[in-house]
Amino acid sequence: MNHAIISCLLANLPAAEAVLNDIDRQGIDTITCLGDLVGYGPQPNEVVELIRKRGIATCQGCWDEDIIDGLNACECSYPSQLAERRGHLAHQWTDDQLTDENKSFLASLPTSLRRDRLLFVHGSPNSQHEYLLPNMDAFAALERVETAGADILFCGHTHQPYVRELRDGSIRVRLQNADHDCDQGEELTLPMRKIVNAGSVGEPRHGSTNATYVIHNDATDEVEIKEVAYDVGRTCQAIVEAGLPKVFAWRLSHGFEFAEQAEDASHVCER
Amino acid sequence: MIERWALVSGLRGDLETYDLIQRDLKKTRGVTALFVLGDLVGPERNCDALLDRLKNPHRGDLKPDCIYGWWEEQLLAERGFRGERKADALRLSQGEDAVSALLNTVNPSHLKWLASLQFGFIELDCALIHGSSSDVGDNLTSETSPLILLDRLTRLNVNRLFTARSTKQFHLELTGGGINSQVKDLNGKREQQQEVPKRSVIGIGAGLNYTLYDVGSDKTHFLTAGRQTKTKGMGFI
Amino acid sequence: MRSHQGKCGYLRLDGYPSNGLEQASDSGIDKAFLKDQFPELIDLSDSHHASRSQQGDLLTLIELPQFQAPQHAGLTGMDPRVKNQLEALQLHPDRHLHFGRDPELPNKDTLEFKKLESFSLSLNASVWDPPSLNTLWFELVNGAYGDVYRAKALMNLPDGRSMFFNWIVSQESSQFLPLEEISAPNGRPASLSELIVQGKHLDGLRIQSTIDLCLLNDAVLEMHQMPLRDRQKEAIPST
Repeated sequence: MNHAIISCLLANLPAAEAVLNDIDRQGIDTITCLGDLVGYGPQPNEVVELIRKRGIATCQGCWDEDIIDGLNACECSYPSQLAERRGHLAHQWTDDQLTDENKSFLASLPTSLRRDRLLFVHGSPNSQHEYLLPNMDAFAALERVETAGADILFCGHTHQPYVRELRDGSIRVRLQNADHDCDQGEELTLPMRKIVNAGSVGEPRHGSTNATYVIHNDATDEVEIKEVAYDVGRTCQAIVEAGLPKVFAWRLSHGFEFAEQAEDASHVCER
Repeated sequence: MIERWALVSGLRGDLETYDLIQRDLKKTRGVTALFVLGDLVGPERNCDALLDRLKNPHRGDLKPDCIYGWWEEQLLAERGFRGERKADALRLSQGEDAVSALLNTVNPSHLKWLASLQFGFIELDCALIHGSSSDVGDNLTSETSPLILLDRLTRLNVNRLFTARSTKQFHLELTGGGINSQVKDLNGKREQQQEVPKRSVIGIGAGLNYTLYDVGSDKTHFLTAGRQTKTKGMGFI
Repeated sequence: MRSHQGKCGYLRLDGYPSNGLEQASDSGIDKAFLKDQFPELIDLSDSHHASRSQQGDLLTLIELPQFQAPQHAGLTGMDPRVKNQLEALQLHPDRHLHFGRDPELPNKDTLEFKKLESFSLSLNASVWDPPSLNTLWFELVNGAYGDVYRAKALMNLPDGRSMFFNWIVSQESSQFLPLEEISAPNGRPASLSELIVQGKHLDGLRIQSTIDLCLLNDAVLEMHQMPLRDRQKEAIPST
């Protein structure tokens, strides 16, 4: 059976509608959302209400967490003063716009969802703010999945979709302790595991304006990355009408992220 | 010339043990640094005298470089140095009595110094931390999955991780292995093979059990303070 | 100028507006950059140096912004108004070259347009957060604040360096050139800092408000400068 995983909607209603329409057209009933329903975009209430109305299982993203816990929730630094100021402005605007009911919904979201051996998180099992990039150390990536007790880890946060398969792994070790000298050593065989990143619906970072999501087939474990075009102009118009910085509309319409990714993408919060 | 590090932890206020270790080190060749990896304090005995000695070494002492450990973390949290957090982990594991006992063993005049201690050191390509960079209470042992040990080394990008939380003495070496990584994205597919780097995790022990590490030859010696005199003239001394 | 054996002089004329075309104000960017590269450069706009224009070995570069190519080549093609201006300064050019016509000058530094706006901003005493500057410049030359045909700036960085930024729409990428002179880490720099932009539908207010988000306040500047001062102290040998 196919199920769809979406992530990082970032208050972009036209993109969210286009993706859900695309999923509906394929007759897929099960949808999981990896969080960041709000953030930078112009329609936070509408997007939250769309997810709530559809009853889509959702875990909490870093933006969702920051809205509930306040900006000091995370000590992570922005890559530039400009990005920080824009981020704070967008945070304040989103906080002012969101209704109490929608904030309560964001606060109620779990940090992860599990279905058999599938785990769904926003950033990583450690933190909503940790990026699992496709080129991160392969053993560290495997550790994230294995320690979480999953076969496949679904994540978002990076806004760049990918499917990573980690196989044929082994580690050889040798031990010396206080009681005896070095032993002969042993070899640990590592299991095959997958990390699937769903990309972003509302703020893509793969060089195009199209929204992305993934479809997983739970019989074959095959994963397909999907791209969906949507009316970016509608979102840009909404950004301007909402009084958000016009440069957000320019950046979105050119396929650029609202704010640059932090340089130390492997950084994990010290919260 | 030999360069040796002495690594100590888990003193928990025991000045006698610390004094014994200092006397051992005086008789040992080539010891250039003394690292005390946390758990300077504990609930069993008054810690003030030890803390005074660590802050103000005696003439002839090898000057200690200290970091904070799990017990310091509980004390500082309960005393308000960790924002809103309290000594929840201690309360949960050993109850309210243990928290009270801990508070009573350390004079508040030492708190500022304890709060100034770092989480760990990076020296050459070695990390010296009480638990790991994941958490001060990360209990790494020789039984811990090598995948987790490798992750802790990778987080800091070091070849050696010295850890004390488990109180055990061990030197676990990653000697080989690899993994195949295949990534598919909107640009296509690519495959990469990654080898296991030659790295080690070293548990340094606690209390009387301490460790000497030869920096140049990468050799680890697990010792017990006070037994030096028995082996004088033998082995590496 | 680099290969000339004697002294060099520089003068920039204001030029004359044309229908719908606005000359950018001369904010001194080119003069400041040339003076940094050639410390002996004589500034012929300074009346004290006017007499030096008569020196026999002096190579004088006179810049004249002009929207259309002259009707005739060579000195006969010079605008009579310009000729009079130069005579008053006792300057008698030996050659008259025009970008886009004469092969001695790079063709890619030429633009033709029917309508042109100009925006300029003094950034004296301002210091940038470097990654923010990268973002702002990227957005600016790629059209986030209007169609930009030409952009030029001198910008101050927290490590004391001053950078010359130069972009023209016909070129593939921007020029970023550091100036030789480095300001001491003692508060705000005194060196010239300006931004000039030429283009269409320029949103000056938004450019300015974005720049405001990128500039360092005193406290942050001090955070950058304090370790630089400490390093300088360590480098001074004790006597």
